[in-house]
Amino acid sequence: MRDVAIVGAGSTQFGRAQWSLLKMMCEASHDAMKNANLGDRKIDAVYVANMGSTRNNKMAGLSSALVDRLNLYPHAAAETIENGPASGASAVKHGMQAVASGHCDLVLVCGGERMREVNNFEATEFVSYLSHRYAEYVYGVTLPSLAGMFARLYMERYGIKPEHLAMVAIKNHANGAKNPKAHLRLEVTMEGLLTGPDAHMNNPWVADPLRFFDCCPVSDGASAVLLAPADMAAKFTRKPVLIAGMGQATDTHAVHERPDPTELTAVRLAAQKAFAMANLAPADIHIAELHDAFTILEIAESEEVGFFPKGQGHLALERGETKIGGQLPINPSGGLKARGHPVGNTGVSQIVEVVNQLRGEAGDYQVPGEPKNGFAINFGGFGNNVVATVLKRGY
Amino acid sequence: MAPVVEAAKCRKCGKISYPTHYYCPACGERKFDPLPVEGEGTLLTWTKVYALPLDYADLYITLGIVEMDMGIRATGRLEIDDPKTGARVRVRVGKVRETGGTDITGLIFTPV
Repeated sequence: MRDVAIVGAGSTQFGRAQWSLLKMMCEASHDAMKNANLGDRKIDAVYVANMGSTRNNKMAGLSSALVDRLNLYPHAAAETIENGPASGASAVKHGMQAVASGHCDLVLVCGGERMREVNNFEATEFVSYLSHRYAEYVYGVTLPSLAGMFARLYMERYGIKPEHLAMVAIKNHANGAKNPKAHLRLEVTMEGLLTGPDAHMNNPWVADPLRFFDCCPVSDGASAVLLAPADMAAKFTRKPVLIAGMGQATDTHAVHERPDPTELTAVRLAAQKAFAMANLAPADIHIAELHDAFTILEIAESEEVGFFPKGQGHLALERGETKIGGQLPINPSGGLKARGHPVGNTGVSQIVEVVNQLRGEAGDYQVPGEPKNGFAINFGGFGNNVVATVLKRGY
Repeated sequence: MAPVVEAAKCRKCGKISYPTHYYCPACGERKFDPLPVEGEGTLLTWTKVYALPLDYADLYITLGIVEMDMGIRATGRLEIDDPKTGARVRVRVGKVRETGGTDITGLIFTPV
């Protein structure tokens, strides 16, 4: 197995796209290739991450369309990875494996999703297709409702208050406000979300006990990374970032079947596999992007991956340990909460954000102290397909 | 015939699965007997959902996960005004969704 480096990274603005899905993906890919000083070198394979183009954008075979638009035909292989909201990191994992095996040298991984082409009811319906068809979906189960039922159990068991959930939103919105590419660039306060006289107007229920600001927005956006063998990385960049470890694990489709429905077993196993491959431990990580599609998930994932003991993630949050400048900054980009969640793209965008942090190029939201090791969790379904990534500065 | 929602009872080890799997999660057997989801149980968790997908005209719906006395957990609609975790509930099968003019039946939990 060869070591694999990320030699270029790029991303579009997140939010409501002014561009078509394919144009967004071209822009992100162009940024990544330009960032790697690619010149006229040939890309061997393109992996596209997307969840809903067939339904929401009336486009199938997205990777074939992308190689055409980017003039990467006829040499480049092209494949689309649909793995729900974990499509992004799944596609990076496939790219990593292609380079590590020696089958390919240069691989472009591009995630793209344009969800705002359909209305909000359609988008909610589309994402709810992830739930179990006969045991969940038919009842009107949506991802926020699974998160709401998970949150109620988790909060009761560990004494987590609505204020803790709001603290995740406040932190990630403050971070996102500093990220020029974030979807939601606005700061929020405890008064505005929970304690003020207009709090319920600002922050209505979505799936009790989760409110509007406990949920990520519905976003458009594209991101891309260029992968190369680590021993070729110097041809492309002075700042390669190594894919030190990736791990993936799965869980039951119906959430109610899990022996303990407060445990995110796939998150724990995926992280263990990624740390084992990287030969690093949770304590070695300096910055993490976690999959905070719902505020409760940032707390739960921060425990499952081993950053904090079970039931204590909300206490670390309360002490400010996960802020930019804290001991372990989590979601300095704003996370899914503020940066946005273009579902199929999210995993790629998290990896782009970690790369920017490890390169010291994150601008106003740069984590201080020259972070060397970064981590990401990309969470599919309601935790039934999870990809963990450990990245390491390669220079 | 009244509509039923079926779980699967393994012919070898007797474990009841809901929803069904191709192999028994406990012993790997492939043969099952259908078993209606019925009786009473205890509410494990619940949510009132206000952001609804297509097919719903309601302001909100209430969903929950119930630990059934028959030995499975099940997700379903709650017809309970003020749900509390730990509450005893009874299950019936009724209309839970209407899509394109077609009624979909499923599990509905009511107070005991």
